[in-house]
Amino acid sequence: MNWMWFHKLGSPKWFFFRTKAWALPLFSLGCVGLIVGLIWGLAFAPADYQQGNSFRIIYMHVPVAILAQSCYFALGVAGFVFLVWQMKIAPIFIKAMAPVGAIMALIALVSGAIWGKPTWGTWWVWDARLTSVLVLFFLYMGIIALQKALDDPVLANKAVAVISVVGLINLPIIKYSVVLLETLHQGPTFTLTKKPEMPPEMWLPLLVCMIGMCFFVAGLVIWRMQSEILQREHRTSWVREEVMKNGL
Amino acid sequence: MTYTSFLVSEFLLLWRRKQDVINALLFFVIVVTLFPLGVSSSAEFLAPAAGGIIWCAAVLAIMMAVEGMFKEDFRDGSLEQWVVSGLSLPILVLLKVVAQWLVVIVPLLAMMPILSEMLYLSDASFWVLIMTFLLGTPSLFLIGVIGAALTVSLRQGAMLVMLLILPFYLPVIIFSTLAIQAADAGLPYSGQLALLLAMSLLSLILSPFMAAIAIKASAG
Amino acid sequence: MRILGENGAGKSSLLKVIVGVISPLEGTIVYSGEDVTLDRAPLLQDAIYIGHSVGVKSLLTVAENIRRYCPTVSPEALSAVLKKLDLLDHMNAFASTLSAGQLRRVALARLWLTDKTLWLLDEPFAALDSTAIALLEERIRLHVSSGGLVVLTTHQALRSLPCRDVALMS
Repeated sequence: MNWMWFHKLGSPKWFFFRTKAWALPLFSLGCVGLIVGLIWGLAFAPADYQQGNSFRIIYMHVPVAILAQSCYFALGVAGFVFLVWQMKIAPIFIKAMAPVGAIMALIALVSGAIWGKPTWGTWWVWDARLTSVLVLFFLYMGIIALQKALDDPVLANKAVAVISVVGLINLPIIKYSVVLLETLHQGPTFTLTKKPEMPPEMWLPLLVCMIGMCFFVAGLVIWRMQSEILQREHRTSWVREEVMKNGL
Repeated sequence: MTYTSFLVSEFLLLWRRKQDVINALLFFVIVVTLFPLGVSSSAEFLAPAAGGIIWCAAVLAIMMAVEGMFKEDFRDGSLEQWVVSGLSLPILVLLKVVAQWLVVIVPLLAMMPILSEMLYLSDASFWVLIMTFLLGTPSLFLIGVIGAALTVSLRQGAMLVMLLILPFYLPVIIFSTLAIQAADAGLPYSGQLALLLAMSLLSLILSPFMAAIAIKASAG
Repeated sequence: MRILGENGAGKSSLLKVIVGVISPLEGTIVYSGEDVTLDRAPLLQDAIYIGHSVGVKSLLTVAENIRRYCPTVSPEALSAVLKKLDLLDHMNAFASTLSAGQLRRVALARLWLTDKTLWLLDEPFAALDSTAIALLEERIRLHVSSGGLVVLTTHQALRSLPCRDVALMS
């Protein structure tokens, strides 16, 4: 098998030109998906027989909560890739991803609290999944703070990669430990192996929201990575040519 | 430099800087006394909460002791000398952590009987508390050392280390307090102790390497 | 071998890259015919590096500091070297009480106690007085004549040492 593409991935220049055309379509597709899914979910999907209309926040809550976790996983993998193969693109990805992940974790927390008030009668409970999303938010903030504190880019790259890998290894342990404390949250909405228990007219818009959110985040992160690449490589000739030709 | 001469001088330095350890221990005692004074001094509140209070205070004190561990080595050029000594950097880190752990944990354990008496901890759970300390604190030091190594080049890194590392301490606190609560209720607690040991072993394998990467990046 | 260059030209960085404190952005390091870019171990076995910060612990005494790097040194050899470097009176003083020049002499004392062949010295003459400079030049000459290799950076003109110059352009 030819591994050339894998090594090329490490080069910011290659990545920049390869993904230049992707960011906008992905982002727009994500926006459209989100709008369609949200309108469908909020206006047309049937109300829950137990929770009434308050369940509709699920169309925001579940996509961000799932993505906040999987994005942290991606950060850890990127950190590992950087420590092992020294790929320059990995720390750029981490730097672009971390704030997006932090915001998603925050939205998951806030929307969860808003959902919790009518359903459980309280804004906050120390339930396993809430606590683990809160910890996830702290982990994201730690990465961002470390990135901001270190001025030397070489050191900052290494440092965020190390802390992402440590986080990736620790996240399952943290999740397991908070599960040992009692859990109140409803079971997972989506699992890959089982058919969802909701009727299709309820979960279909959720699926649309979910996919829309993925595209939205992918587009956003690629965008952020591209501007980060331009900043980091601003001394090279290809950036100068690119800016001369196409503007900023 | 050899591993032995390195370890000997680390112990000497810790001995000459014993005031730092004393400060960390005083900090530990003061945090513990905040709870009876700040929340409630009744035995009904303190007895079940004692394990958690002592653990939270210990985590903060250990954080304080670990956070600046490499600062001086960074300033006087010793970190560079570690890198060029031809010795294995992860092992040097591990030796330093072991020295630091021994110096902090022994007086901490020695103070336990007094503190658990002050917080009305039952006799049965006292020995569980000691065991959770012996099994759990190595992972606290080993994880903390990664944070210390990452922020060694910063002038003011203490708050950042806390932000980075405290989330990773949660499982240790949770497993320990669950073990103590289980012992209080007369339930088996060996499972939680095994988890603590597993965490310490996992960090024993991983953290010296991670800290070594961070130290090498910071020394340059 | 002397490395020359203006301030900021990268003299210290070059030494640090050679010993592996900094990883090179490109290029390879070859030591006795072997590529050591990824694993410096063969080079470090034969090398002493004394950087700009000398790696002397302020809370250890002079003797303890030297023993830290050269644990096998005999008391006689130690006091002989300290006498030569005019540190004998400070043997049991904490390094925190010493002046900058004395600190550097403590760090350089290793050069009299070692059998390593490759010395990498970053500004070794900084903060030294003229007697100490003469002593160090003498020691370097002895080392080179016995087949050793010394790579150093300096601004000072070397009075008595023949050397090959490498100039760094910024």
